[in-house]
Amino acid sequence: MPADDFFDRSEFVQYFRDETDELLNSIDADLLRLEQFVDTGTIDAEIVNSLFRALHTIKGSAGMLEFTAVQQVAHKLENVYDLLRKDRMPLTESGVNLLFEGRDVLTALVRAAVSGTETPSGVDEYMERLDAFASVYDSTAQAIEGPRSEPENDEDLTPLDAEQVTAFEAEVARLLAQAQTRQMRAEPAAQEAPAVDVGAAQAAVDALFSAEPSPERPAPFAAAFAQAAPAAPEPPRPAAPVPSAPAASAAAPDSKRAASAKNQTIRVDIERLDLLLNLVGELVINRTRISDIASTLGRELGTNGRAADGLSSLAKDLSESSALLARTTNEIQESIMKVRMVPIGQVFDRFPRMVRDLAKARGKDIHLEIAGAETDLDKTIVDEVGEPLMHLVRNCVDHGIELPGVRETRGKARHGTIKLNAYHEGNQVIVEISDDGGGIDLQRVREKAIRLGIIDEAARLSDREIVELIFTPGFSTADQITDVSGRGVGMDVVKKNILRLKGVFDVDSVQGEGTKFTMKLPLTLAIIQALLVNVAQELYSIPLDSVIESQRIDAADVRTVHGGEVITLRGQVVPLIRIAEFFRLDAPRDPDKVMIVIVGLQGRQVGLVVDSFQGEQEIVIKPLSDVIGRIAGISGATILGNGSISLIIDVHSLVATAHGGGRVARAEFSGV
Amino acid sequence: MSETIQVVSFKLGSEEYGVDIAQVQEINRMVAVTHVPRAPQFMEGVINLRGQLIPIIDLRARFGMQRAEHSKNTRIVVTEIGTKRVGMVVDSVSEVLRLAVDQIEPAPEMITGVDTEYIRGVGKIEDRLIILLDLAKIITGSEKRELDAADVEAVAA
Repeated sequence: MPADDFFDRSEFVQYFRDETDELLNSIDADLLRLEQFVDTGTIDAEIVNSLFRALHTIKGSAGMLEFTAVQQVAHKLENVYDLLRKDRMPLTESGVNLLFEGRDVLTALVRAAVSGTETPSGVDEYMERLDAFASVYDSTAQAIEGPRSEPENDEDLTPLDAEQVTAFEAEVARLLAQAQTRQMRAEPAAQEAPAVDVGAAQAAVDALFSAEPSPERPAPFAAAFAQAAPAAPEPPRPAAPVPSAPAASAAAPDSKRAASAKNQTIRVDIERLDLLLNLVGELVINRTRISDIASTLGRELGTNGRAADGLSSLAKDLSESSALLARTTNEIQESIMKVRMVPIGQVFDRFPRMVRDLAKARGKDIHLEIAGAETDLDKTIVDEVGEPLMHLVRNCVDHGIELPGVRETRGKARHGTIKLNAYHEGNQVIVEISDDGGGIDLQRVREKAIRLGIIDEAARLSDREIVELIFTPGFSTADQITDVSGRGVGMDVVKKNILRLKGVFDVDSVQGEGTKFTMKLPLTLAIIQALLVNVAQELYSIPLDSVIESQRIDAADVRTVHGGEVITLRGQVVPLIRIAEFFRLDAPRDPDKVMIVIVGLQGRQVGLVVDSFQGEQEIVIKPLSDVIGRIAGISGATILGNGSISLIIDVHSLVATAHGGGRVARAEFSGV
Repeated sequence: MSETIQVVSFKLGSEEYGVDIAQVQEINRMVAVTHVPRAPQFMEGVINLRGQLIPIIDLRARFGMQRAEHSKNTRIVVTEIGTKRVGMVVDSVSEVLRLAVDQIEPAPEMITGVDTEYIRGVGKIEDRLIILLDLAKIITGSEKRELDAADVEAVAA
């Protein structure tokens, strides 16, 4: 390891990004809470302190990495919060808006700093406004209380600075711990690396907090700090004189708890987990294989009664240990899945702020209620679900909730409510987004669809089918194009994204009462339960989450409607797709019976005709090579326990292609 | 002695072909290939190679030749181009040859069957002619055209 790696900047930058993301989110949440106090005139000190701490940490970390712009803005914002918590500044709406804006400026700056791109424009202008805003209160405060360099005059200072010290001390503890880890890691090359005396640094910090107040106090710390992080020349600057020893020691236990809690988690590169998951996939395949061999061996020996006793007991051992192996493999698989799980709250967190801003822009009054933020699901899915969710929430704000005046005339509360809810149900996660707005206006949707030429004027559609029209590409009922939604992209994209995640998407709407979108998402994407079926001598896997049931039907019960085959199942007409014919495979039809897998697709049912059922199995999804390209009706393949390959049927694209004739197939091929 | 390259030579019908040995990962006997429906017609399917899915191209079909019955000499030449791994079905694999670079000539127009687009050149060794293939083109080059053909078929269906 070269000496330069001792201070691995990129690692620090990533840490900074992750940490700052969390802090910026917490700032958003705190600001939303703070905003509630605008009308009351009083302020919850804890909120302001939490904001102050977050900014302080950002400022300190940014300083270490020499992200000066971030540091400056954080510093100026910190000053404003300082004025707020000292009651020198009243909490006004314009003030809160300015702080919200500051949070956004900071986000943009952090992004630019981390990616090494140019500082976004408007930062200077924002800082000027912030200065102008703060200076009004700052100067009055100084005029009344005298220069701020004489804190003895300010009774308020002491307890508040204890907070500051807590944050500061926690930060120092974190940096020391980091330096220590790095030193341990760098040990083999330590001779070349600049010497870091963690012990001395610790001593300096201890001295810092135990000694009597004196102007030189920051000096030993600064020296230790400069040693610990050679590339970070600027030591965090204690913003105010250090308080007396009792205050500091009172604060200390808290920060130690915080520090040790932090050490309970580690950040892991998602690629490492993906690799682990792939390996487990292989393990699952081999486990199934060994179980197969064990049971075959047992059977063979069983039929061949003369097998030697020794051999029989060996076979028994094999089958026992393969069962044990199966159990352990399952546990490993589950554990890794759990490691990859993150709470959906990560996505939900951005909505309170978004709803607030959008509602303000639209002149609407909207409460957002969030439940189940702690519901876990696979990181990949959480990452992918953010976009569709955002579209839906925007849609609720823009099209769902009515203006306060309209709501009053309809006899509703002036403020509308949007509810976000997530919970586990079996092997799925359900996410619901509902509003108590106007609901989907079926008449308007219909008229619009006719106008856009999506349906024929004479078309007779059920209510459900009309609602489904909003998922047609290019469809939007917004009367005018707004910057929120209404650009005609959205619902179709939302639906497509959710289907791509192997999810199910449903919409329920009652006119005048509201709309509810429901998505059912799988917990994970890599390993699924599938129903294996035979079609023309090949084994195909149908993901079990879309399978409703399998049926054996007399061939005589298959009817023809408009040239398409259907069956009637419990009074419902179910269209059939013969998989062999869809895939242009050479397979004669059975004249007597038809084996059908009923699959569900947005509340519709479709029957897939196969040759026979082969039972359920857990399969590991592998993508088909891009040399083959995308194939309508196939989402990938899996390797079965005996080493043979089974193609996985993509129920959605199969049904879409079969119903759309050749059109969908063409679209997918040209996308290669 | 001029510079030489090593090629794996194999046969399709009466013609002899060669690919750069650096691009050949292994040569296997014919195994059961899982058919992939609705794939381009030259796609034979996929095989399981020690836990990995490898797409298989029938090289005869790729070059628009008549497909042949598989025999005991039929081989799958597993090649690696960039990150892509592809198996090619050939009639038989002959040997590993050393070709002098100055004995390689640009592809003549008259070569039967194979589109010159896939050919890097023709190597001469004694009285044999070895057609050197450009693998990257074979797996990506005009796949698009083949897909378009499948497309027309799909619309017609």
